[in-house]
Amino acid sequence: MARGKIVSIHSFRGGTGKSNTTANLASQIALAGKRVGIVDTDIQSPGIHVLFGLDEAKMGRTVNDFLHGKCPISEVAFPVGEKAADSEGRAKLAGTNLWLFPSSIHGREISQILHDGYDVNLLNEGFQTILKELKLDYLFIDTHPGLNEETLLSIAISDILIIILRPDNQDFQGTAVTVDIARSLDVPNLMLMVNKGLPKYDFADLRQQIEDRFHAPVAGVLPLSFDLADNASRDIFSLRYPDHDWSKALRGVAETVLAIK
Amino acid sequence: MAEDITAQLKKSFLFKGLSDEALAAVAQKASLRDLAEGDVLMRRGERGDSLFLINAGWFKIVTEDAKGDELIINKAAPGETLGEMALLDEAPRSATAIALTPARVLELKKDAFHEILDQRPDVALTVIRGLSSRLRFSTTYIEKAIDWSRKLAAGDYAFMESTQQALKATDNDDDKAAQLLAAFFQMVRSVKAREDGLKQQLERLTLEIDEARRKQEFEEIVSTDFYANLKEQAKKLRAQRAASQDEE
Repeated sequence: MARGKIVSIHSFRGGTGKSNTTANLASQIALAGKRVGIVDTDIQSPGIHVLFGLDEAKMGRTVNDFLHGKCPISEVAFPVGEKAADSEGRAKLAGTNLWLFPSSIHGREISQILHDGYDVNLLNEGFQTILKELKLDYLFIDTHPGLNEETLLSIAISDILIIILRPDNQDFQGTAVTVDIARSLDVPNLMLMVNKGLPKYDFADLRQQIEDRFHAPVAGVLPLSFDLADNASRDIFSLRYPDHDWSKALRGVAETVLAIK
Repeated sequence: MAEDITAQLKKSFLFKGLSDEALAAVAQKASLRDLAEGDVLMRRGERGDSLFLINAGWFKIVTEDAKGDELIINKAAPGETLGEMALLDEAPRSATAIALTPARVLELKKDAFHEILDQRPDVALTVIRGLSSRLRFSTTYIEKAIDWSRKLAAGDYAFMESTQQALKATDNDDDKAAQLLAAFFQMVRSVKAREDGLKQQLERLTLEIDEARRKQEFEEIVSTDFYANLKEQAKKLRAQRAASQDEE
């Protein structure tokens, strides 16, 4: 039996569409019949829960509770396939094996963990427990942008690292450092994904330049989309609008992830 | 004069192939009519009771657009036939024909035409043959146009070269088909030019990375104790997971 893979989704700066991409990729892979978990380790600014229709009222235990020793990690699991069929896109996830591990959205709990800090090793143990107990094929980690300690941890333990960048020079610079770090940490599978590409750019040329410069494959160049912005995190976009160009390119990235042995 | 008319009829697609004797019989029933520039030969919506064979001069075939303005849909030259459809199906004229120059037409009235068809099965057969060959020709080009449209929609322009050369090589005596083809290929060229233009408008974004800064930022991170520890742990963890997988 193949062991579960940890897929870290990273970006050097905020605003690259990281959480949205993570939610869509994980959903597509769950739809392909895989057992998938998503951990929101963006403790400072959690967001991915919104895409799965999880609000304060529905949210039970969180990753914060686990890190404070209040509960085992298994109690944090929110079974998306059982509970999140409340929108057109999410309804397609009914019956899939997809679990979300949300971070707390309470300001007090966020500031507490930022103030006290937490044991990154405990977070790592949590990942390993989830993989084993839920017999996951893929565990997605949605990280905080930049290169802080928990981000470095998620890179260090990942089997697959997807770095999301926008096509601009600030992102190229930060991504270059992240790529160097990932290589230094021996990440087995490293790939880049360009998001929010303006349609006026030559995507094929952009892909070639990035691959040449970073010596890493570009799993997809996804267009900037007003439709996606208009969706405003209300739903899993690629499920709701499967024929959209963004969704097609996103599925290409999911296929690349699935093809990794 | 009668010989002139016979020669004219012989060139028309409707009577092509008739014997001289049969042509003379048709010519006998026909009459010549002269028109000044701007004269209306037939009017859209009227019941047609004549077919015309253009002897000399040019006509514009017009209809009206949605706003009621004149819309030229075609031009007709000497040798072409006008109004034959209305004569056979008795529907109103589908378009108006106006002389662009001083013109002369050969007119065959409906009653006279029907009389010939009744009396001369050879003429009737020739007329039917002429109409069906035109229909067959149109059908062939409609089929081709459908095929080309599909290729065009798929962005495949390869058919342009081969088809245009093939068309030049064939003897194409049907003006309307030729016009349709010319319009179609003009459209394909315009679409292709616009598409090429759009492709060229794509901008190139050039990657710029400050390599010195890249190196410096990398060094800052990897020189910490946390990083050294993490690297060691990550290595152990990967080894552990690989081992536990082997056990399974």
